[in-house]
Amino acid sequence: MAKLKAEVDRRMCLACGGCISVCPQDALSMHGGKAFVTEEKCISCEICIRICPVGAINWRSNR
Amino acid sequence: MKYDVVVVGSGPAGSVTARFAAKAGAKVLIIERRQEVGVPVLCGEGVSRKIDAWGMLEGKRWIASSMDGARIYSPDGTMVKLSAELAGNETGYVLYRDIFDQELARQAVKAGAKIMTNTDAIGLLKDKNKIRGVKTKQFDDEFEIDADVVVGADGVESKVGKLAGINTTLKPKDLETCCQYTLTNIECKDAYCDFYLGTKTAPGGYIWVFPKGKDTANVGIGILASLSKAGLAKKLLDKFISKDPRLKNGHPLRFIAGAVPVANPVETVRDNLILVGDAARHVDPITGGGLTHCLEGGKIAGETIGKAVEKQKFDKETLSAYETSWKEAFGKKLKRNYMVKEIMLGFDDKTFNMLADSLKNYKFEELSTLSLLKALVLKHPTLLMKLRPLMKVSSEL
Repeated sequence: MAKLKAEVDRRMCLACGGCISVCPQDALSMHGGKAFVTEEKCISCEICIRICPVGAINWRSNR
Repeated sequence: MKYDVVVVGSGPAGSVTARFAAKAGAKVLIIERRQEVGVPVLCGEGVSRKIDAWGMLEGKRWIASSMDGARIYSPDGTMVKLSAELAGNETGYVLYRDIFDQELARQAVKAGAKIMTNTDAIGLLKDKNKIRGVKTKQFDDEFEIDADVVVGADGVESKVGKLAGINTTLKPKDLETCCQYTLTNIECKDAYCDFYLGTKTAPGGYIWVFPKGKDTANVGIGILASLSKAGLAKKLLDKFISKDPRLKNGHPLRFIAGAVPVANPVETVRDNLILVGDAARHVDPITGGGLTHCLEGGKIAGETIGKAVEKQKFDKETLSAYETSWKEAFGKKLKRNYMVKEIMLGFDDKTFNMLADSLKNYKFEELSTLSLLKALVLKHPTLLMKLRPLMKVSSEL
């Protein structure tokens, strides 16, 4: 089974850029004023999820 | 489009760099990703009175309130009071950062720079390995802007540096993750900035209350990202507010998040490239304050670029005058305070309580390292062990 990837909840993201600055894979960037995870680059390290001050990043739910 | 300089980011560091480069005769363009300069605010909005001496801002509209001093509270509530003179180094004014940023951008334009908003830098233009401008996107249009110098003033994300091959990725232990309410309907009895320390209150950081008037204040938290869990900063801040009698009846006018690098500065110069402000990690690792370095460093960067344009030389060696000068101006302080930060992270609540207890009646007017250490150690001799690494740092620098 493929590892889960991080996903930003655009409704909660306040665009502080913290997750972008710590991502070891450069998988995060700002798109339309909110942080965005490039899924192919994400290595599921969880750093962005843990450091988000408002809890706006979670594991992507399998839909 | 061809410019001498393209500045990525219209925050204080970008605008001040642009201003002094333009003043020296360079053709300067600032590009800003957001639709409005200074908005949204991502900042606690406290700044040193040092900025007065530099005279870079006109008027007073960017000042929300002037501070009389600061109070630091240890985990058990022991308070250490700092007078305006001493505290003013870090907390002189509480700002309206949006107006502050727009005033600095206005000054840049007055000096001859141009600004484009809604314009995102999506890549660097390179001839072989030589940087020759930025690739940008405005809504659906992509276009190239040629420039002899690219300035990365793109804040904590520091993507421009990364694109140029500088490792700007932060370790979680070198980032403070923050959020802040602007609360109204609260009681600010006096014009003091309050700081609350404690491993339970704000692990690896602090909570702050910065008054913006009698009934309104910025109430925020920064915690070290390596000690963070998802949403922990907001949870701890909400808990603090709900337990504080002054604050618990407050209502939010604004809620924002922020990320503050508390790292050692990175390499700030390459051929045709300069990094300034948060992008260069020009932030005091102890306080998380960076605005003064943006203004001081931005001026140095702008003047360096001005001279480079005059000589038409944009190699690393020419631009290195900037790095030499900022290191002289505040580089030593940043380096020392990074070491102090690392040592202080090892302090437990008991140590902070002892420190505060030793200092609570200390007359800070007589501030000297020796008298300070004497005051600390006389009352709590066990502090000597904890502070030994700090003494080593202060004797080395």
